[in-house]
Amino acid sequence: MLDNKKAPIKLSHYNFFAKNRKAQVGESITWVVATIILIIVLIIFIYASIALAKTKSLKLNVKEDSEDSADWINSKTQIAYSINSNNKNKIEEWISQNNENE
Amino acid sequence: MNKLGTDKILSMYWFIILTLVAGGIFAMVYNFYGAPYDVRNIESEILAEKIADCISRGAIIDSEFFVEGAFNTEISEVFMEKCNFNFKVEGGYGDNKEIQYFYEVEFYTPEDVANPKFGFYGGNNNWKSDCFIKKENNKEYAKLAKCTEKRFYALSEEGNQYLIKILSAIGKSEKNVR
Repeated sequence: MLDNKKAPIKLSHYNFFAKNRKAQVGESITWVVATIILIIVLIIFIYASIALAKTKSLKLNVKEDSEDSADWINSKTQIAYSINSNNKNKIEEWISQNNENE
Repeated sequence: MNKLGTDKILSMYWFIILTLVAGGIFAMVYNFYGAPYDVRNIESEILAEKIADCISRGAIIDSEFFVEGAFNTEISEVFMEKCNFNFKVEGGYGDNKEIQYFYEVEFYTPEDVANPKFGFYGGNNNWKSDCFIKKENNKEYAKLAKCTEKRFYALSEEGNQYLIKILSAIGKSEKNVR
């Protein structure tokens, strides 16, 4: 037969230690989780730095419609047109083929 | 006694964390600042523009390109010297100490824009094929030569119309790509 009567709570050494250990486990989990988060954040930042390093490429940003552009090659063509503008459409079409390829 | 042990473990833990953070910061700085700037696009643009300047100042093609009304076929041999180009300055980048530059110049007429009337090239011809490969965004393609094509219109001193196409290519992947 089961004895429904509760045993009196004893403040034995074992019970006291078990309670203390639970608190320690809780605290340790907090530190472990904090460490994992720290490592994850570090890994994210390292990957971000690798990704940013790959974008380190310098390009000339010369756009035809930009006011501050200086397209020396185009200026040569324009000067040549001022001397002889025969076949202008054909020449323009040929030059624009290069822009399409870029 | 127990407290002293916990303190020791905690000190070790903090030391490990400190090492991790310091190592992480070092890795980030090394990755970012250790990667070289890829300046080959600009370099090939500058080379193409210098060649264009050498061929035609203003709109008139240099008289040295013609002999008795026809193209001077020997211009390719003196072109480098004429334009003050020296491609041997950075020959040590490749494993075989190969020249890292290439250029090709073609002259067309408005009557026939498909077939060049005259053309010549200089530098390392091996880079030319890289210019016609469609470059995808991955590491293997990043090591291909960077090319620039420039087209312009100019006139000979006699007033003949010429369409000029310049293709320039820069290798130097060891210096510009990690």
